[in-house]
This record gives sequence, structure tokens and C-alpha cells, in this order.
Amino acid sequence: MPGKGPDKREAARQRIAAQRAAEAAARAKAQRRRRTVLGGVGAAVVVVIALVVVFVVQSSRTSTSASAAVPANTTDGGYAFGVGSADAEVTLDMYEDFQCPNCENLESTSGAAIQQLVAAGTVKVRYHGMAFLNTSKNDQYSTRSLNAAAVVASTAGADAYAQFHQLLFAHQPPEGGSGLSDDQLIAYANQAGATGATVARDIRDLTYGDWTERATDQASKDGVTGTPTVLVDGKPLPNATTATPAQITAAVQAAAAG
Amino acid sequence: MTTGGPWLATAARLLVGGVFLVAGAVKLPDPAAAVRAVRAYRLLPEALVHLAAFGLPVVEIAVGLALVVGLAVRTAALASAVLLAGYIAAIASAWARGLQIDCGCFGGGGQVAAGRTAYPGEIARDVALLLVALALARWPASRLSLGRALAAPDEREFSHAR
Repeated sequence: MPGKGPDKREAARQRIAAQRAAEAAARAKAQRRRRTVLGGVGAAVVVVIALVVVFVVQSSRTSTSASAAVPANTTDGGYAFGVGSADAEVTLDMYEDFQCPNCENLESTSGAAIQQLVAAGTVKVRYHGMAFLNTSKNDQYSTRSLNAAAVVASTAGADAYAQFHQLLFAHQPPEGGSGLSDDQLIAYANQAGATGATVARDIRDLTYGDWTERATDQASKDGVTGTPTVLVDGKPLPNATTATPAQITAAVQAAAAG
Repeated sequence: MTTGGPWLATAARLLVGGVFLVAGAVKLPDPAAAVRAVRAYRLLPEALVHLAAFGLPVVEIAVGLALVVGLAVRTAALASAVLLAGYIAAIASAWARGLQIDCGCFGGGGQVAAGRTAYPGEIARDVALLLVALALARWPASRLSLGRALAAPDEREFSHAR
């Protein structure tokens, strides 16, 4: 029969061991918690720093120079070119990108009808260019073409813009293609009536490059989320992409009557 | 859930995390388009548009990275669920108001050709991702996770047994 002494000592040893184990577990738990909190704080700091850095970088990338050149002969806040009689009853606002195939479609289907309405004095058109279909493959064609159009309007007036607009859609480069070259843009600008050394220079140098960014942003502020967008006296023409000349004429007549 | 669960959770992490990582990354190269995409929803005042347009991609990348590498999985899964719920609400509201926009989920300026909106598909995709994110928040224990690898060995065993 074993003595009482060793039993007691064994039990005490076990108690102490259990206590030590519990203390160690508590320490490990506290350490884990500390690590989790530190990790969480560290991660939050990294995310906040990333947010600030990205915000600053993206703001500077989207900012345009306040002293950037703006084209002459604009209307409607400096981002549109107006053609037609000032007394015309109905205003058409047309938002287009020269690289946009649906805009080309609208122009080829209904461009002539719109011109007739302008010629008849019923309608004045405000052309709002946008430049959002830039790719490296088309060598930023949206920006280059809208800049060229601004050069044309600035040099030779809004009617020349309308003609240049027609020429660019008639010769629209395929989407995914390489875009028209600066030389081609200059040739069409000359054809539209904008001539001279400054025209070629301003087209090559993207003189109104910053302005095209602001014009695109302004269109977005106007609520435009796709091209072509056609506003008839401020009201969006439904399905502008597939609008027929008859539908446009009807919408104009309705606006004139209302 | 004894053997397959952790691997399912790993797949869920890679799916949701991968989508967020890509969605955030593709918005960085064209900040002007991101601004237009946010503005197209007509939900935020102009003063907050830039903040959302430049900030959301960073948050998306942070959440995506955490999920892909497996750090703070439950927190990241909850954050992604909150983001997705917000996106679903925003897209549904655009749809309900008859706006003609692209969700801009993977870059782009929110432009869409008339009649080419894809609201049902966009919402269905986000709802599916939301469900996966919520499941991941409920059962975050997964294989191939950095958080697990960094944890103490005893804890690792414990978590695996769980």
C-alpha cells in the first residue's frame, strides 16, 4: 500500500503544472490578441496611406491646366459649337465621339435630314464632342480628332466644324483600328475651310488637348452616359443610335409645337 | 465539412478575391473614366464623386488581396459583402430610374449604347458573389492561407481540427 506523502506531492505537482499551462495559454492568447490588433492597425494604416497616395495621383492625372488653351467660336459654356439660325425654334444637342460607330451610323442615316432642318431655320444644332474611346492602338484618336475639330472651329467658325464633323464620320476609321493620322486630319481640316500653318501646328501639338478632357467631363456632368446622345430641346431622343430621319423630324416638330 | 470545407473556402477566397482584385486594378489606368462611371449613377453629389471614383478601387484591391493571400479572411469577406450589397443597390436604383448606363464594374466610363444595358446580368453576378462572400464570412477556415501559416503551430492544429 503506497504512502500518503508521495500521492500528495504528485497532486501538488500536477496542480502547479496545470496552473503553469493555463498561464502560458493566457500569455499566448494575449500575445495573439496583441498581434491581431497590431496587424489590424498596420493593415488599416497601409490602406489609408494607399488611399491618400492614389487619390493624389489620380487627381493630378485628371486635372487640367487652368491656363490651357480653349478654342474660339464656342457656345453653351465653351464646350459646344453651334450651327443654325439663332432664332431657330428647336435646339438639338448632339454628344458624339468621332471614333464612335453608332455616331457614324446616326450621321450617315440622319445627318442630311438634320442639315435640312438647320437650313430651313427650324433647328439649331450644338455639337458637343467627347473623347473617351482613346486606345494606344488608335493613338488616342478620340482626343486627336476632337482637338482637330476644335482647331477647325476656332480658326474657321462653327459651320466649318459641321463640315469637318461630316468629313470625319464619312471617313471614320474602324474601331480597333489605328485611327486617322494627323496628316489626314489636317487634310480634312483644310477641306473644311480651316487652312494655314497654325492649323497644322495646333492639330499636331494637341493645342486643345486639355480642353477635350474638360469637354468630356462636362458631357458626363450633363448626364450623358453614351454616344450618340441627342437632346431635343433638352429632352433625350430615345434610341438615338437607330433614329430615322422621320423620327428626328417628328421629335423636332413635337418640340416646336410644345 | 471536415475535409472538403477548407478547400471550398479556399476556392471561395480565390473567386471573390480575384474578382475584386481585377475589378480594382482595371479602374486605375483611366481615372477620368472612373469619375464618369461613378457620376453616371447620379447618386453622389459632385463633391463625393472623385472620392468614390479614386477610393473604391483601392478598397477593392485591399479586400481582394486580403482574400487571395488569406489574411483576415472573415473581415475581408464581410467587407466584400458590404461592397457588393452597395453595388447591387446602386445598379438596381439605376435600373429603377431608367438610366442607360453600364455598371462600370470592370472599368469603363459607364457609357453604354442605347438599349444595351445589362442590369439583370450585372445584379445576378453580384448577388452570386455576395452569397459566396457571406458563406466565407460564416466559414472562413481555409487551406493555403497566409493568416493560418503565420499563426502559432498549436493554433493551426486547433483550427484544422475545428
